[in-house]
Amino acid sequence: MTELEFDPKPRVAQPTASPARSVRRRDKRRATSLFAHGEPMVWLTGGALGLALAMISTLLFVVISRGLPTFWPQPVVEIATHDGQRFAGEVALSESFVIGPEALAALPADAAARARAALETSGGEIDRRMLRSGNYDLTGTHFRWVSDFEVAAESTPEWMLCVERLEWGRFYGVPTALEFDGRRSEGPSAQLWAEFESAHAQTRATWSERRSIEEHDIGRLAKAKEEARLAVRSAELEYGLQSPQRAAAEREATALSAELDEEMRALGERIEELKALNAGRRLLVRTADGAQATLPLEQVVRAYPANQLSAFDKLAVYASRVEEFLLDSPRESNSEGGVFPAIFGTVLMTLIMSVLVVPFGVLAALYLREYARPGPLVSAVRIAINNLAGVPSIVFGVFGVGFFCYTVGGGIDTWLFPERLPSPTFGTGGLLWASLTLALLTLPVVIVPTEEALAAVPRSMREGSYACGATKWQTIWRIVLPRAMPGIMTGAILALARGAGEVAPLMLVGASKLAEELPIDGAFPYLHPERSFMHLGFHIYDLGFQSQNSEAAKPMVYTTTLLLIALVVVLNVVAIWIRARLRRRFQGAQL
Amino acid sequence: MDTPQPSPLVRKRGRRERKTRRSVLVAERVARTAISLGGGLTIATVSLICVFLAWVVFPLFGAATLSPARALAGGRASEPIVACAADEYASLMWVLERSGRVTVLRVDTGAALESLSVSEQAQPAALGFDAASNVVAVGTADGAVRLATLGFEVSYPDPASAGEALAKLRPGERTLFSGGLAERLPDGQVRCVRLQLSISEPFELGAGKQGSAPRLLDLNVTESGATVAALFEDGRLTVGALKRTTNMMTGAETLRFRGGDLPAPNAPHEELPIALRLLGAGDNVLLVWRDGHGVRYDARDLSSATAAESLELRQAPEVELTQVDAALGERTVLVGDSKGGVGAWFRTRPEQAGTVDGARMARGHWFEGDGVAVTALAPSATSRSFAVGRADGRFELYFLTSEKRLAEGRTPDGSAVDALCLAPREDALLVHSAGGWSAHQLTSHHPEASVSALLRPVWYENYEQPEHVWQSSSGADDFEAKFGLMPLVFGTLKATFYSLLFGVPLALLAAIFSSEYLAPRTRVAVKSTIEIMASLPSVVLGFLAGNVVAPLVQNSLAAVLASFYCVPIALLFGARLWQLAPQGLVLRLVSWQRLLVIVLALPAGLLAASFLGPWLEDLAFGGSLDAWLDRQHGGAAPGWFLLLLPVAAVGATLGVARLADAWVRRVSQHWSRARCAQFDFVRFCATGVCACLLAALAAALLDVAGFDPRGSLLDTYTQRNALVVGFIMGFAIIPIIYTLSEDALSSVPEQLRQASLGAGATPWQTALRVIVPTAASGLFSAVMVGLGRAVGETMIVLMAAGNTPIMDWNVFSGFRTLSANIAVELPEAVEGDTHYRTLFLAALALFAMTFVVNTGAELVRQRFRRRAYQL
Repeated sequence: MTELEFDPKPRVAQPTASPARSVRRRDKRRATSLFAHGEPMVWLTGGALGLALAMISTLLFVVISRGLPTFWPQPVVEIATHDGQRFAGEVALSESFVIGPEALAALPADAAARARAALETSGGEIDRRMLRSGNYDLTGTHFRWVSDFEVAAESTPEWMLCVERLEWGRFYGVPTALEFDGRRSEGPSAQLWAEFESAHAQTRATWSERRSIEEHDIGRLAKAKEEARLAVRSAELEYGLQSPQRAAAEREATALSAELDEEMRALGERIEELKALNAGRRLLVRTADGAQATLPLEQVVRAYPANQLSAFDKLAVYASRVEEFLLDSPRESNSEGGVFPAIFGTVLMTLIMSVLVVPFGVLAALYLREYARPGPLVSAVRIAINNLAGVPSIVFGVFGVGFFCYTVGGGIDTWLFPERLPSPTFGTGGLLWASLTLALLTLPVVIVPTEEALAAVPRSMREGSYACGATKWQTIWRIVLPRAMPGIMTGAILALARGAGEVAPLMLVGASKLAEELPIDGAFPYLHPERSFMHLGFHIYDLGFQSQNSEAAKPMVYTTTLLLIALVVVLNVVAIWIRARLRRRFQGAQL
Repeated sequence: MDTPQPSPLVRKRGRRERKTRRSVLVAERVARTAISLGGGLTIATVSLICVFLAWVVFPLFGAATLSPARALAGGRASEPIVACAADEYASLMWVLERSGRVTVLRVDTGAALESLSVSEQAQPAALGFDAASNVVAVGTADGAVRLATLGFEVSYPDPASAGEALAKLRPGERTLFSGGLAERLPDGQVRCVRLQLSISEPFELGAGKQGSAPRLLDLNVTESGATVAALFEDGRLTVGALKRTTNMMTGAETLRFRGGDLPAPNAPHEELPIALRLLGAGDNVLLVWRDGHGVRYDARDLSSATAAESLELRQAPEVELTQVDAALGERTVLVGDSKGGVGAWFRTRPEQAGTVDGARMARGHWFEGDGVAVTALAPSATSRSFAVGRADGRFELYFLTSEKRLAEGRTPDGSAVDALCLAPREDALLVHSAGGWSAHQLTSHHPEASVSALLRPVWYENYEQPEHVWQSSSGADDFEAKFGLMPLVFGTLKATFYSLLFGVPLALLAAIFSSEYLAPRTRVAVKSTIEIMASLPSVVLGFLAGNVVAPLVQNSLAAVLASFYCVPIALLFGARLWQLAPQGLVLRLVSWQRLLVIVLALPAGLLAASFLGPWLEDLAFGGSLDAWLDRQHGGAAPGWFLLLLPVAAVGATLGVARLADAWVRRVSQHWSRARCAQFDFVRFCATGVCACLLAALAAALLDVAGFDPRGSLLDTYTQRNALVVGFIMGFAIIPIIYTLSEDALSSVPEQLRQASLGAGATPWQTALRVIVPTAASGLFSAVMVGLGRAVGETMIVLMAAGNTPIMDWNVFSGFRTLSANIAVELPEAVEGDTHYRTLFLAALALFAMTFVVNTGAELVRQRFRRRAYQL
């Protein structure tokens, strides 16, 4: 900007004054330009910019400050209230609120007096905390509020364990005994803890084996059986109900089924064996209010004595939780566990999308810029493509569901998979359709910068190339495309970022709350483009908006949000960086 | 580019060969083909989107088609037809004549399968028919009533074991089979449809009143039981419920009627009513006479049933009523008259009904006739369609709610239509006239949709008046889906309006500051930051709107509202303070340092708001803004004051400027800078006081005049509301508007700026008088693009707008937009039905809206660019 030096005697003060008057008053026009600087308006414009910047930093701060500490182990406090309740938990939230007189009246005299004193100093507001009290199977609630004046005693018991379980959420309690393979030890807590750690590792190993059998082997058998049934149905459709082919397929299926049943039985026995092995491995725990509970060790995902962790231990718990978050499947209706399937789905969908969109986007841009004869038609197409970027994403979703899923997918189903009907294979939302829909959506994001980059390649370079005898394609391939690479890369990366963050169309064309299977697995043909998949953005929508137990799910949503923002922002920053770097590289060669 | 062929002469001299290699030429051709094909296809695919959406939407507005008449050979009724119905597959139909004879006909040939009777006597005294359950009440002269159920039984016999006749049947063929009609289906199965007639034991209508024969009967069968109404020869009207009791000893079932007499209609009538209808769940009885008079009885309590209202059902005094029937759900009565008009009447609940049950019959729909009497009415058993037959042999098919004429036809011989039968799936229409039955094939796609039904208020059953309603699904069976798009369009506009209201000023002001007052390096950094803000997934914004902003706004509504006032005031106030600062300091702090100083005013404003808000809430709104908004206490004045304050502030500033500027300019010529600053400070404070006084005065006047902002712009607070959406969606559109307008401002040629500054204008004067006017079209197009983005934004409104399809401008209430509606409902819509196509229509509307807005913006921007280059 150009900052004018302040001049107490500016020569122009009344730009609107008529020439005649200005001549007459030349000596008098000594007005200060302070009013002309419009300082208040400048402050409004600056304030607007500051507000915009403040809003984005606040947003990032909120997400980071709520997302990052999610996995940090908190101390477990045990609280006894005046009405005789005792419970333990991690503090999830604290706030101040206005208390009603009837709540004070219900307190014992001394506590009420203290509360009143506290109220007077704080101006009618009092602090309360929300404790994640866990033990859902015993209490029927995950959280409870406790106001400061209700607290009779507060402590952090040394051996209060925080136990994360496969079901029912967290459990807080002090270990009293450990049962392991028929042996029961009731020693002091420290000794119990040491025993627990080794016992838990063994139990989890057994459990992992069982889970692997249940998920993979049994799934494989079920699939083989389903294939055989479909083969029968397929033969029936092709050759008729009474055909020998169908009878043959039926015989084969029966034989296979018997074989598979045998295998299944063997696996079932193994599972029962493992179950029986783990059944006797239990941790006996006493909760804060004195209730006894038995926790099967195989249900315990992770346990730690929350109140005696060193900083290093806490870091270890944190790291282990982050690892679980990134690499494990969700459980407890997505509110716990990890988001690996969602990460996997997002990345895979975005990759397929970019494989589709980048070549076609570049082709379209090349066609528009290099091959199509310039004219009103090409200009119209260009404007249309530009505007496609402004068409709401949900419209692409509607197109995707109507065209890809129902029309194309339905056609594929009746043509290739008639034996599976009426349950659709391609005729419903899935990975391929989602990728195609997003590819359409991001097409302008690729075409527009690519075209701009192609247009920016100096004409002289092309002419030089032609003069050397190169053909058009050689010129494009050797001269134009390399120079346009920054634009193309930027477009591609921006398309990736847009595709990764877009949710609305995916809600229609295939993102699902919980996908049973990953779209890539060990069964032929390895990549299953018809399967529905999980997506980080949809995960956020589902957890943050549709979840039953939204309070418990909140930490997960914030971490997932953080992950998604990080992914998108990193992609964007990379795009900006590449653009800047490649621009610099070519700057010297600018002709 | 092909290299020119080298001449043989050159080759001879042993120079380097200049022939283009074949592979290069092939690559050239392949590349040209591939790029043209690929590029062309890609562009074609893009245009496919619009075409496909339109292709899905198009059938919505198509009319039904009726095939030419196919005369059926047999089954001509010799007596008046009381009722008729076809089975679901339109293969058989039964026809009940006045004599009690039931004839079963094949729909394809008209051949009579069998002839039965619902009455043991030769001539039943009265017949009443309930279309929903296919039960006929047969009253005999001795006062007894029997219930005859005429149900179609569908079975799928195994063709292999069922005998020769079925095994030989080819797909599509039909044959008689065990008293019914069998048809081979395309998938090889055989479907057999048969009529089942069962007649109950007789029961008496009212104890001890044997002998008087019923003249009119109606019955209404619901899940909980049946209601019967009867009008006897002696003028007695009785209504009551049927109870089924089982004898413990014999196991025999008996029906018992329990009910009471209704008071006789007051108006004297020579003749009998033409119709007796039970309405709704049997709790209302309607008697209709030929002269248009109708009486509705409230029969909710059978022991004290009374006449609720007397009706005039005719359109004009000279017509007579000819036909009365009830549409699906038995809540709407269709009344046909001698001039061909058909009226649809149903109960509404206006505020001043003046009847014992608070309801009134109103004519919701009127189908104008052309003078030819209505001779037959046939409501559909599955939808709100109905067929009308006329005395001159014409018949039409209408849809009740949309008042759309679906199809029309004429009997082959032009004789009067005396019965119509609409197949349950509405794929066949059977017409009976003097010449016998004739059949028409019918394809009716989306009768409930029409341009006016989608966009104009529609009078739905039991609503008080025509309204815009979007309600696509419900638990009830006879629920009618209501596809009024207006609430969704309204919601979209509301979201767009509030987000633009918040986002546009911020984005434009911010763009002016960064293009005019920031150093290039800082500008690049700021712009990149804001571009990253643009890339934030909207699901994240929606989640934060719903989970962080909405609770925050709810908990501290007063402070949030106060900050809308405090932050700008803090900025303006800060500027006045800054003017008082020493000149050396002011000149040293430029670019980002200046921004930093300005930003300090933001926390100050927010802090002030957090104190001022609750204080104002206590002072002016009785301690609770929520309750005030809910109209629980307090007058309108404080609300008006706050609403009018910005207007008053602008007015006061302009007024002060007009009154004092010339004088200030004159006297301030010799003032020092500090003096000017002090004066400006005082003037600012004085203007503020003036604005407050003005606003207070206007608020008091408006309050006295009886206007209240609650009910329009302000009203009851809901947690997910337009304020939250406006804030977060404003946040979402700020980056795009900012980036585009910053581009526009920056591309104003530098020489203009230099010239202006060189002529002695201050940067602010340059910005306001030179840069902004030059870039105005660019700024406009930026706002248009932002508008396009706001119109189609889905996730934010889905998660923060509450999704209630209501129409009001209240900033504290929720709404549902077109886009959110698609996201919520399309996954559940059945492919190809009206709901699905209506959602596609919504998508097409969004597409068209944004495409038009964006194209407009693009054209404006191109013009701006051309102009900027010329300057």
